[in-house]
Amino acid sequence: MNPSLKLFLVLIISVEVSFTSKLTVNLLLVAAGLILLLWTRPSGLTLTHLLLIPAIPAGALALTVGAFTPAHDWFFAAVLASRVYVYVLLGSAVTRTTPPLTLARSLEQNCHLPAKFAYGTLAAINLLPRIIRAVKTIKAAGQMRGVTLSFWSPRLYFKAILSAISWADQLAQAMESHGFVEDQPRSQAQVIPLTGRDWALGASALLLVQLALVALP
Amino acid sequence: MHTTRYHLKDIILLALIGIIFGVIYYAGDFLYNGFTILLTPFGLGPMANDLTMGLWCMAGPLAAMLLQRPGAAFFGEFLGAAGEMFLGGQWGAANLISGFVQGIATELGFTFTGYRRYNWFSLTLTTLTATLVTFGWDWFRNGYAHFSGQLDLLLLGARFVSIFLFSGVLVKLISNLLVRAHVIKTVRS
Repeated sequence: MNPSLKLFLVLIISVEVSFTSKLTVNLLLVAAGLILLLWTRPSGLTLTHLLLIPAIPAGALALTVGAFTPAHDWFFAAVLASRVYVYVLLGSAVTRTTPPLTLARSLEQNCHLPAKFAYGTLAAINLLPRIIRAVKTIKAAGQMRGVTLSFWSPRLYFKAILSAISWADQLAQAMESHGFVEDQPRSQAQVIPLTGRDWALGASALLLVQLALVALP
Repeated sequence: MHTTRYHLKDIILLALIGIIFGVIYYAGDFLYNGFTILLTPFGLGPMANDLTMGLWCMAGPLAAMLLQRPGAAFFGEFLGAAGEMFLGGQWGAANLISGFVQGIATELGFTFTGYRRYNWFSLTLTTLTATLVTFGWDWFRNGYAHFSGQLDLLLLGARFVSIFLFSGVLVKLISNLLVRAHVIKTVRS
């Protein structure tokens, strides 16, 4: 399915789920998300991570609503818990099947997002390993001087932002020296198709969710 | 000088800032889960969400203080969320929705001051709008509407304290450092 269409479909469904409280629909969506996720053949570790970590917020929400509110509404508690899993499973089904590059290309070609936004963000995402290393280096450098930098230390953010400014400069220069010009028409290395089949698939999935929302309890 | 255009360099920088804040936050990820486990037996499980909200909303105000133009706070939050989507965080594409809401929430304070003031006043105003908008969103999404009025007030208070300390005070301290380093050149007051 077309990456942009897939993303928007999941976003629409997630927003809809936020404003409705139908347990059956949530459970069906969780099942669908789980199947899509298994389709990507995740490792056992990823799967446990995706299934167990959300249990903390889901369980906390459910317990609070069920046991500590005046109404003791265990049905709504189950709705909230399943809602958390809808977000997590559908959301990761998208990110696990769509590489950032494909998504950026699709957003540029199919949704006419300005290329500078698509590829600017992509450039930043690709820098992720270096960002993680830089944050570790800053912390280590602080520790060598006997200073512990934690998430509440302004200095940690300050140093990280200084690195970010120089990276942004270098990346922009690199992209421009490779021929990237803002607001100019671009040729495409890889065309991301948006076919009638994609539209049909997206529309029918959306329609199914609407029908389920209306028809099921 | 009141630029409103975004060039490639600015967009990369905004996304980078969002991602960096995400990375630093992940280092303290145990906070959210730890708080949740600690507070749930007291019926305060959702408070973890409120207590850590300030950390999530930091990128927006900081981006606004740094670039000082309309949309900076929104893009800082939203592009950061787009980056975190691929960070391997548990929320996947759902990150985009939170990023969108938090982006608008942190942008509003600067909108209300006409994008002319980037100081204590607009930052404090932003912490207020961020508290109200994100709380309004959780009212539906996390079922806050179903809690008792007392608990809701408590959560709202906790959220404001968190957002004020992290997105207000801490952001101001960081931008003070940036001003001293001449990274933020003109401070309009």
